[in-house]
Amino acid sequence: MATRSRPISSEFLFLKALALFVFWVLLSGSFDWVHLGLGLICSFGVAWVNSGHSPFVPKFRLWLSIFLYLPWLFYKIFESGIHLSKLILHPSLPIEPRLISVETKLRHQAAVVLFGNSITLTPGTITVEVEQNRLIIHAMDKDLGDDIESKQMESKIADIFKNEEPDI
Amino acid sequence: MDILSIIFMLAGLFFLIVAAIGVIRLPDVFSRSHAVSLTDSLGALLMLIGIALHEGLGKNTLKILVVLTLLYILNPGIAHATIRAAFRSGLKPWKKESQ
Amino acid sequence: MKTFLFCVLVMLVILIGAYLYRVLRGPTIFDRVLGLNGISTKAIILLIVIGVYFERVDMFIDISTGYALLNLVGALAVAKYLEQKGLP
Repeated sequence: MATRSRPISSEFLFLKALALFVFWVLLSGSFDWVHLGLGLICSFGVAWVNSGHSPFVPKFRLWLSIFLYLPWLFYKIFESGIHLSKLILHPSLPIEPRLISVETKLRHQAAVVLFGNSITLTPGTITVEVEQNRLIIHAMDKDLGDDIESKQMESKIADIFKNEEPDI
Repeated sequence: MDILSIIFMLAGLFFLIVAAIGVIRLPDVFSRSHAVSLTDSLGALLMLIGIALHEGLGKNTLKILVVLTLLYILNPGIAHATIRAAFRSGLKPWKKESQ
Repeated sequence: MKTFLFCVLVMLVILIGAYLYRVLRGPTIFDRVLGLNGISTKAIILLIVIGVYFERVDMFIDISTGYALLNLVGALAVAKYLEQKGLP
């Protein structure tokens, strides 16, 4: 058996097992004792096996502001999706692909993850490489590239994380 | 309710068709990945919203939301992993010849 | 509604054919991996629409959830392998 590199944090073990158990109940949909007991055993077993991998503990007070950020993200996805559809359906294919290097001011790992995920979700821009807080982004067009460099999305994400301790 | 769900599914189908045209038409890996991410983010979203409207409130709609959340969390990760592998193994993005 | 769903199913299968062309033709191996990703997303939507068509959504959604999770593991493994190995 492999030795563990990190100690198990009991809070993390409990939260992960709870999330897995909710997923089990959602998938099985039956509430008798056999199924619930099997689900409890399986979810605690899986959480114990890979609890050494990450010391991450979710910060629940951030979830509300992340949830309020989502409608703006969906608006952005629609806007650039329609722009990209116009580019693809245009007979002469007027695309100008380019690589942009962006240095962000975000000081949290979770913020950089959220930023890169939002960029990749927006059609027309994709995150190619991440290194601390430097991102290399492939954009399809000049408009889409300018959209990233205008820092609108970055300032919204910095607003979410303004009360946290920096960890990069 | 059926009319609304048919409208949503037709809009989703439109984006899926655009993405398929893009996958055939665009010149290199990097730009094709944009077309695939258009499928994931807009096509699947509108399509599954249409199906959820057809189902109405209940357990099935909750499960459709779970599938949608999974798609939205996992697909950017997959696209980023593939593109990073292409970038690190030395592929250069396509440029217009006139430049 | 039933006829419309059948038309959607046929349309999705034709779109999968377009991705299959990219998988078979693709100049580099990354094009093929990308095409497979697109096919798997289409397959998830296709499974849910089949579920609505046969009025057994509760069963088919579980299958599509499992498909999405397995697809994640497979795609990440292939991407990691290609990243270490480089362009063949």
